[in-house]
Amino acid sequence: MNEVKNLNTENETAVMTGLESGTGDISTQEMEDKGRRYLIFVIDDLKLGVDAEFVVEILSSHTATALPLVPNYVRGIFNMRGQIIPVLDIRRRLGKSDNEGDNLLIVLNYDNTQIGVLVDAVDQMVEINDEVILPMPAQSMQRFVSGMCTIPDGSGTMLVLDCGQLLRNE
Amino acid sequence: MGSGNEILDTYIYETNTLLEQLESIVLEAEKADTFSQDDVNEIFRIMHTIKGSSAMMEFDTLTTISHRIEDLFFIIRENTMSVVSEENRPALFDLMFQSIDYFRSEIDKIEAGQPLDKNIDSFLANINSLIAKIKGEPEGAGQSPAPAAAAPAEKKDAAVSAGSTEDGNADFPYALRVFFDEGCGMENLRAFMLVTAIRDFCAESDFLFVPAGIENDASTAEQVIENGFLLMFKHAEDREKAIPAVRSSGSVRSYQPHDYEPPKQVEEEEEPQSAAPAASAAVSAPSASAPVAAAAAQQHQKESLISVNLSKLDQLSAIVGEIVITESMVTSSPDLKGLHLDAFSKNARQLRKLTDELQDISMSLRMIPVSSTFQKMNRIVRDMSKKLNKQAKLTLIGEDTEVDKTIVDSIGDPIMHMIRNSMDHGIEETEAERIAAGKPAVGEIILSAQDTGSEVIIVIQDDGQGVNDEKVLKKAIKSGIASPDVEYSHRDILNFLMMPGFSTNTEVTEFSGRGVGMDVVKKSIEDLGGNVSITSELGKGMTTTIHIPLTMAIMDGMEVSVGESIFTIPIKNINQSFKVSASDILHDSVEGEMIKVMDNYYPVIRARRFYQIEGGTDTIDDGIMLWLESSGNSFCLFVDELLGEQQIVVKPLPSYVNNFDMKKNGIAGCSIRGDGNISLILDVGNLYSAMQN
Repeated sequence: MNEVKNLNTENETAVMTGLESGTGDISTQEMEDKGRRYLIFVIDDLKLGVDAEFVVEILSSHTATALPLVPNYVRGIFNMRGQIIPVLDIRRRLGKSDNEGDNLLIVLNYDNTQIGVLVDAVDQMVEINDEVILPMPAQSMQRFVSGMCTIPDGSGTMLVLDCGQLLRNE
Repeated sequence: MGSGNEILDTYIYETNTLLEQLESIVLEAEKADTFSQDDVNEIFRIMHTIKGSSAMMEFDTLTTISHRIEDLFFIIRENTMSVVSEENRPALFDLMFQSIDYFRSEIDKIEAGQPLDKNIDSFLANINSLIAKIKGEPEGAGQSPAPAAAAPAEKKDAAVSAGSTEDGNADFPYALRVFFDEGCGMENLRAFMLVTAIRDFCAESDFLFVPAGIENDASTAEQVIENGFLLMFKHAEDREKAIPAVRSSGSVRSYQPHDYEPPKQVEEEEEPQSAAPAASAAVSAPSASAPVAAAAAQQHQKESLISVNLSKLDQLSAIVGEIVITESMVTSSPDLKGLHLDAFSKNARQLRKLTDELQDISMSLRMIPVSSTFQKMNRIVRDMSKKLNKQAKLTLIGEDTEVDKTIVDSIGDPIMHMIRNSMDHGIEETEAERIAAGKPAVGEIILSAQDTGSEVIIVIQDDGQGVNDEKVLKKAIKSGIASPDVEYSHRDILNFLMMPGFSTNTEVTEFSGRGVGMDVVKKSIEDLGGNVSITSELGKGMTTTIHIPLTMAIMDGMEVSVGESIFTIPIKNINQSFKVSASDILHDSVEGEMIKVMDNYYPVIRARRFYQIEGGTDTIDDGIMLWLESSGNSFCLFVDELLGEQQIVVKPLPSYVNNFDMKKNGIAGCSIRGDGNISLILDVGNLYSAMQN
């Protein structure tokens, strides 16, 4: 629960970055200087980063309504203030087993599609230059990852989540 | 989005509305073969507004055309419709339709950001020759209205030349000089707006303005800045009325009324000459004043309508939806359990009532009548009956049926296509053919709309020759859709009509055969979540029925539970619900289950099994059976429990989950329940088809 608390401030910044970008030269300028902001979340020992621009909200609790006849990684849909948002279980999507305990829901808005992604916990917010991000070695397992880099504080490696791939159905 | 775009949007919207209005007037008038004085005034006003706003937007060609049409109707207005002889009337109506089409196509170009058609000479010549024809006749007859018609124009010209040197005119003694704010820009157009405003209450022949060329000539702006804008009225009371109009229009710095004093005798001598036309104008004025008053009243009525951006309405409905949910979250909060709060409960009930009303209203905002789309079809039928030389009339039923705005916008083309189809292929080639078949000489197409509460049904019916199965089948085999070895039923053959790449007519006609087939109609209706069906009887005509669900609709539904899941079934699909015991269930050879209801056997679907839901009951005696029906298909659905009837707001499923064939599996959408949870709305028709597979 602690993790959720101290996230609140970060969450707001995340939303703000999302709004700022694209409004003008200033943010582009900033981006050139400082790079992109990423929100890092944790699944088991994996650290995945998602472009903060896409992050709408982080929720600690939600009630998903199950949908019949869908793949098991689609946990259902939930009502976020009148909007119906699908919930995607990224653990199951990556083929990992379910974990016990509380999950967090990160609501993303990618290409005008809103989707909630269930994750274990949120780690931190980092700024990373595009050129630091290296391509993934060819490996079928990681098809939702577009690149990787070392986290600036040295706490490990961040895998960059490819939202487009995640939303694609096969 | 810049403000320039908004102005353009408004211009396009307004002009389109005016054109629609104009079209319906002309269509009606053509039937009566005359324009009433009201019509003439209205057309005059419409053309005038288009002229003014086009000038503002600097669409010169549109301004010129509308100006000439305005001139034409000026003549008709002054002399009544009798000025247009019988033989000229068809030309007049055709010209009006031609101009409507012209404006429409130009507005489309503006909307698409394409350059306007610069070559308007031939069109202008058309208008001019008609004006000449109309003008020519009364002159030949030597009647008095003719000079009266020409007089105002001449007088204007005179005033232009006179006005630049002089400040007054004996005929128009009551002057008003208006100065605009310094540096406000576009003074000439501001002045023109003022003139437009004054025309609302003052006949054009009753006032003059200097400089005259304000609407087209930007250089007049200089003069307006220098000398002010001079308005001269024939009657003092018109000037009195003009003052508030001047005051309320923007950017006016100051205005001063002054009266003209006749300086010389020469000009007074001139007056008797122009007295005659002035008198005749005065005579026509009272008769014109009644329609003007009517027009004013109509205008007032129009002001009670405003146009709102659709996205704002969407936002509003979203927020209202949230309010409704939040309200029930507050009033049924677990914190309140066990407390006796009389005042709270009373107020909560009041709140509930208000939010319900709010919801109803916000939902009704998006609903508009289909009449605008339906009215357009009059024009199609008219044009086609002329072109194809077939007599046909269009009967509209249920024009005031209200549906969601997005639906109204997207059903236009499909309906148009079906109507064209009926005109082209349906109605017999000649009257003799119809009479021989024992039908009235004039063909009839009926276009009707009906709201059943959960869907809109649009029916396009003609009494033409119907679909010839043999011909269709031949054609289908030729196009490779059908196989020659297979025996097809009447229904199958009708379905060929809606397949891609099928067109019964060998030659591509201007109207129906633009490579767009019925398959496009089918697709666009299906995009709206609806379906199209065709029935036809050879020699009796063809009927196309379009079912479209009301999106955004509030629907009456029955909520049922299956395990943890909650489904909502549209009430209209439910015939009956009843308890059964396991012994009532019959089994067929392939593990299917059936039940006998009202002397008929129906298949049984167990929601729990079909949707692979964990939990819930599998014991027939514990659950409940619902007898459902959709477009003639009946079956029974077994669920755990009925939760109750509920009014629900239909929400579409997110596109991400829709990719998983939700619709095919009979889930049409979802709805947010009072407690914030979601129920899934079942589409009984699709559920039936899903079960078949």
